[in-house]
Order: sequence, then structure tokens, then C-alpha cells
Amino acid sequence: MQFNSNDSGSSLQSEINITPLVDVVLVLLIIFMVVVPLLLEGYDVDIPRASADTSEQLAESQLILSIGSAACPILGPPAGEGIPKDCQVTLADQKIPAAELPARVAEILGGRPAGQRALFLAVDDRLNYEGVVRIIDLAKSGVEDLKIEFIATN
Amino acid sequence: MRLGEGAKLQASINITPLVDVVLVLLIIFMVMAPQMRKGPDVNLPNTTKPNSQGDERGRILVSIDEAGGLWINDQLVAAEHFGEALQAAVGAEPDPRVVIRGDAKLKFFQVREAMLAIEQAGFRGVGLISRRAGAEGK
Repeated sequence: MQFNSNDSGSSLQSEINITPLVDVVLVLLIIFMVVVPLLLEGYDVDIPRASADTSEQLAESQLILSIGSAACPILGPPAGEGIPKDCQVTLADQKIPAAELPARVAEILGGRPAGQRALFLAVDDRLNYEGVVRIIDLAKSGVEDLKIEFIATN
Repeated sequence: MRLGEGAKLQASINITPLVDVVLVLLIIFMVMAPQMRKGPDVNLPNTTKPNSQGDERGRILVSIDEAGGLWINDQLVAAEHFGEALQAAVGAEPDPRVVIRGDAKLKFFQVREAMLAIEQAGFRGVGLISRRAGAEGK
């Protein structure tokens, strides 16, 4: 009888304490339930209306970035990260390697007040979409609150 | 003595069934999570620093698949009915925002045409959805 009571005391100790496990699992469950409507990430862009007068007002100071298929031949999805080294873009009538974009955009638009930083994109239709998005990514990394607008190429 | 011990052992709640249920729920959510997304599977472009575009809820998702097919949320729509379908998708939404999920293999003009159609339907801007490089998921 005395041994039995000792045994029952040690058997209470021998049970694994699963309360922390339950805590962790419950937290994981809540995380998954919250993350299910997954968040979206991307870039805001504008398409000026054909008859937009706002863009004409800005015409003098507008900064145009042209991406041509001859100077920047991204015709298929670019491999790896970033964009090919041979890609050249035309920023404000100057041909520059795409890698210099963040610095040049910051130089030109960095001094303007936050609401007036706009970059107008003229993109060749034949270019690969991923390449274009990566160039937008590059341009946006130079300054904060950069507005991107697309303009017709032809 | 025995009766007392027996009552003591019974006093702790048996949480094993609770753990079982929670684990099963966890597994169900893990399996369902990738399938709960709206729209078709699209291989999004990879970029380094995309900005937050908010939650999928409250956004109208325009997806363009590898073949150039246009989807509004979960429905494939013909290009000529795109405008009407978009208006229908807006419904009573107070502040609708449109985002484009374009496949990385597309040519730019396919996305530009979708943007123009969205603009003609009365939206000022769109969000181009990308995937943060190195992140998993679709």
C-alpha cells in the first residue's frame, strides 16, 4: 500500500507536460488562419487618359524613361534576379545602363517635393513583362513616393 | 487512500482529444491555404522591393495567364466583355482598387492592353502585383 502510494506519486511526474505544445500549436493555427487571405505586393502605376490635361501641365518638367527593345533586349523572362547588364534605357534623352537608374532618378527627382515625383514610362510593346516590372522596381528604389505613369509609345 | 488518489488523477483535464482536433485543423489550414487564393495560378514576376498592396479582400484581381487569357477574380472573361465584367465585379464596393496579376512570360503589350481596358472602365490606376524575390508562394 505504501509502495502503491509512492508509485502513484511518481506516475504523476512521469506524464509529459503538453501544455506548452498545445500553446505553440494553437498559435501556429491562429497564424495560418490569419495569413490565409495572403497579402499582395506590387507597384502602383497610372495610365494617363488619352485626353488628360494634367500630364500636359507637367510636360515641361516631366521625366521620361524609354525602354526600347533594341537597347534593352529583354524579350523573355530574365534569369535570376535583376536585369541583364547589357540593358540600356533612355532617361531624359540620355542613354544610360539600367543599373544606374536608381542613382540617376534620385539625382533628378530627389530635390522635388514628395507629391511631384513622377516618372513617365514609354515601354516597347515587345518587351517581357517581368523585365519591365524589374525596371520599375529599380527606378522606384532610387526615391520614395515615386509615381509611375505609362505613356503610349506610338 | 485509493479513492482519494483516483479522484486526484481524474482532476486533470484530458487534453489529448483537444490536441488531436487542433492538429487536424492546423493540417487542414496548411493544405487549404494555397488553394484559397482567388484567380488562376500565375507565375508572378520576381522583384526585390515591391510595396504593400494590401489584402486580397477588397481588391479586384485581374489575372493574365501565360496564354494571355484575362481573369477577373475567379472567372475567365473574353476580352470583348472585359469592361462589363469589370463593372459587374465592382458591384457595391465603396472604394474599389484593381490589381493586375500578370504572368512573367507575357509580353508587355498584353499587360498594357489590360491596363487600358481597366482605365476605360473608369479606374485611375492599377497595382502590378509581383512576388518578392526569394519568397515562396505564387
